[in-house]
Amino acid sequence: MVKRLAKGTVLGIWLLITVFPLYWIVVTSLKPKAEIFSMPLKYWPANVTFEHYAELFEFADFGRYLANSLMVSLVAAAAVTVIGVLGGYTLARFTFPGRGALMLAFLVTQMIPLFIALGPLYLLMSDLDLLNRLAGLMVVYVAMLVPFSTIIMRGFYERVPVALEEAAQVDGASRLSALVRVVIPVMLPGIAATFIFAFVQCWNELFLAITFIDSEDAKTVPVAMNSFITQYDIDWGSMAAATVVSVIPTLILFAAIRRYIVEGLTAGAVKG
Amino acid sequence: MKSFLALAALTVLLAGCGSSSGSGPGEVRLRMVESLTSPERTKLLKSLLADFEKTNPGVKVELISPPLDSADQKITQILQTKKDLDVLEVRDHTAKSFSNNGWLGELPTTEWSGWAGLTDLTQKKAVEVGGKPYLIPYGFYQRTLFYRTDWGLAAPPKTWQELYEAGKKMTGGERFGYSFRGGKGGADYAVMMISAYNGEALNPDKSFYLKDKRTIFATAEAAQALDLFVKIFKEASPPDSVSWAYPEMVQGFTSGVTGMLIQDPEVIKTVEESGVKAWSTAPIPKGPTGYAYQPVGYAGWGVTSFTKHRDQAVKLVQFLSESQQSIRFAKGNSLIPISKQAQSDPQFSQGAWKAYLEAQQDPKQVITIRPVDYPGWSQFLVDSDRDVQALLTGKKSTADVLKAWDAFWTDQAKKVS
Amino acid sequence: MTKRAFTGRRAAFITLCLLPGIVFVVLFTYWPMVRGSVMAFQRYNLFDLTQTPFVGLENFAAVLAEERFWTSLRNTGTWVVVSLFFQFVLGFGLALLLRRHFRGRGLYQAWVFFPWAMSGFLIGLLWRWMFNGQFGVINDLLLKTGIIDQRIGFLSTPGWAMTSVIVANVWYGTTFFAIMIMAALQSVPKELYEAAGVDGASRLRQFWHVTLPHIRPTLALIVLLRIIWILNFPDLIYSMTGGGPAGSTDIVTTFLIQQVMGGDYGRAGAVGLLVLALLLAFSIFYLNVTRSADGEKAR
Repeated sequence: MVKRLAKGTVLGIWLLITVFPLYWIVVTSLKPKAEIFSMPLKYWPANVTFEHYAELFEFADFGRYLANSLMVSLVAAAAVTVIGVLGGYTLARFTFPGRGALMLAFLVTQMIPLFIALGPLYLLMSDLDLLNRLAGLMVVYVAMLVPFSTIIMRGFYERVPVALEEAAQVDGASRLSALVRVVIPVMLPGIAATFIFAFVQCWNELFLAITFIDSEDAKTVPVAMNSFITQYDIDWGSMAAATVVSVIPTLILFAAIRRYIVEGLTAGAVKG
Repeated sequence: MKSFLALAALTVLLAGCGSSSGSGPGEVRLRMVESLTSPERTKLLKSLLADFEKTNPGVKVELISPPLDSADQKITQILQTKKDLDVLEVRDHTAKSFSNNGWLGELPTTEWSGWAGLTDLTQKKAVEVGGKPYLIPYGFYQRTLFYRTDWGLAAPPKTWQELYEAGKKMTGGERFGYSFRGGKGGADYAVMMISAYNGEALNPDKSFYLKDKRTIFATAEAAQALDLFVKIFKEASPPDSVSWAYPEMVQGFTSGVTGMLIQDPEVIKTVEESGVKAWSTAPIPKGPTGYAYQPVGYAGWGVTSFTKHRDQAVKLVQFLSESQQSIRFAKGNSLIPISKQAQSDPQFSQGAWKAYLEAQQDPKQVITIRPVDYPGWSQFLVDSDRDVQALLTGKKSTADVLKAWDAFWTDQAKKVS
Repeated sequence: MTKRAFTGRRAAFITLCLLPGIVFVVLFTYWPMVRGSVMAFQRYNLFDLTQTPFVGLENFAAVLAEERFWTSLRNTGTWVVVSLFFQFVLGFGLALLLRRHFRGRGLYQAWVFFPWAMSGFLIGLLWRWMFNGQFGVINDLLLKTGIIDQRIGFLSTPGWAMTSVIVANVWYGTTFFAIMIMAALQSVPKELYEAAGVDGASRLRQFWHVTLPHIRPTLALIVLLRIIWILNFPDLIYSMTGGGPAGSTDIVTTFLIQQVMGGDYGRAGAVGLLVLALLLAFSIFYLNVTRSADGEKAR
């Protein structure tokens, strides 16, 4: 009993620590500007206002940024997942010359500081006419996430018995159809986890987006939010409102496939 | 899985369609980028551009507003690709490097009817870099002292020593005397004090050097100034201000935390709209020998050397620089205007603006030119701010900092000559 | 497992499956990186791009001679080690507490794992706002509870700034650790406990002799990935302090950003290559150490 109580207390405290900053951002987003900068601090707005939210959609065209972000993240995450499913499979099931080198090359990409590649990448994107286009952003996001998805997928395959797909192949199915019909269903949690991981990364990505996008038409949510920081001040009210709005899609996705995530995210790393 | 792929394919298709917004036949699309971005300013600029489009049918202007923090970086990046940019905001900091790299196109001067309507300062600054008209300034920034009149200050401090004493008196409880700048741009204020303390010896045309070619950081006066700078921070400013930059300084003043602030004219508008009611302005404080030095900051519009629509791009720059538009822009941002017509405009000679007139008429309030065209300039901006923070937090001594700056600019002088 | 040879149709299949990934990575990661690395050996300053001669190791020498580089390196050590330590300990604790099912566990997880869904940039801003010296809620709470009697400039005092960014980072990263460790814990087969004949043994002994050895390789890998990420993704520090005050929260990657902002791509390239070399060397060393520790378990 004492133990359960202790456990409950610890979990409760951690919950408080996690939730409080989120609570605070919601409160800030509901305060009128004058109240945000007034003492003493109020833990609930004296006058609840939705002006910051209204501003987002009227003035900043936030709807379009949300749509752009959604488009880029969904497509890139889907592509990354498909490429990972195929690449991970071959890495797990075959030996071939250069396999070790390839895995190493994938691992090393994680260690490359983004900022040494940024300048040249910009020139390349310009040459390919991919600047200021959602397609361009998708392409760089795929490149950024493919190593991770491939390696994590490989880990998942290693947990699936080879016998399973051999049985299917004996029945006359081709390798690809065995993969699609037998192996992939077993791996669904892993695939879901990879997808959501990739989605969240794309959804939140800032540095590449501000580098490659400056047209109003193609701005994503983080780019738009970054522009709330001006020389004159940080517009904390709008910033807070935008944060709340921008987190919602991830939250929905997260809730929908939470079950898979815990299982998925690490399993790949287990045998990495 | 199938639906997954279908979804992916579909969205790629959609993306492909959505992003190619072509321009109609015969229509010219200008791309323009701004640097000192702020929501209010962008709004104003957009309305000016709409006017331009109205008077020039067939021309559309797309305005790019990168986040302020990395705007010049971004503009440099776009310029490097040498395409898709026609009109741009050029700042005093960036003019030299943009022109070095051959990215700026020359603008017509006397051939343009509006040229004669510009103030002398504007004409001078337009051709300051390399002697060629690479930009038309849209306004000037110059600092002035803002102070509370209800915090027991009988008259504004005339010298830095007086500012220190007045600030110390105001400090107590939740109140502090001075909106100190220790964060980004903080070194600028240290340099301002050092310049004032060097007095008559300073060479205003190369303001980091003395008339005898030594740097301004090599003198005993420089050490005095920097010591006082630290004292003002320690005894008359919020401890937090070690990391304050523009927004925090202004917020400090407008929220009633600090009693004095030295800033650009655009703050006039901010203060007017804030809760602070009893305030006034005065020229910036002087050194012991009665001199005050400051550069006049500026930025302007230019055209790229590689624009495919040079005529329209030049036309746009000229449109923005004509008196009607430029006065509207200067008013909206509270800048010192570029048009001669504005001199008779009451808004620029009343109230808070009086301090500027006063400074203009005082021969010992000297306008300087900073060595922005030296190769090490941008490096110094980054390095010196960090030195200032190190100084304020006791990680470096006054002597260390001055020694480093002296060495840096002595070395720069060699590189230029 | 039987791994098959690289011939004929099989080779074609393998190539086809791997090609998209390879193309993306080579074109959009390695090529720009190589190009960026070349700049490290050039005088490449945006101030004047008309002359970009090769200058050998000049940029590296300049970087290594800078005191700030070494300060940022030391800070990187503190930042990575302290963040990692707390993320690991708290994450592990959380994972253990959440291991067994209880009522409302799903909901609890959803709330607690939430920070993971936000970006480092946003989290940086959120904490910057809370740590604000004037209007920050943390100062207010500490004042109200009487823990302090004067506001602390968390982000403006060198001693506090590093602590503050680490607090934010721990808040952010603990969750991810917890998820990973939880999954690893669940991967321990039940039979192992039975087979080990420790039914009667204490929980602690079970944990020590069965659980820990089983999940150690996973832990080792997660920790390595975390180290790389903490070091290589400067968003959080960048949006919280920008490396200040007085460089007291500068890590090598924020130092790198400053070089880029200063327009000196040559030096930035040199810093980037140094960071890469450092990470590579560390990873190799780390993998060797953890491998040999797990040597007896190797397949």
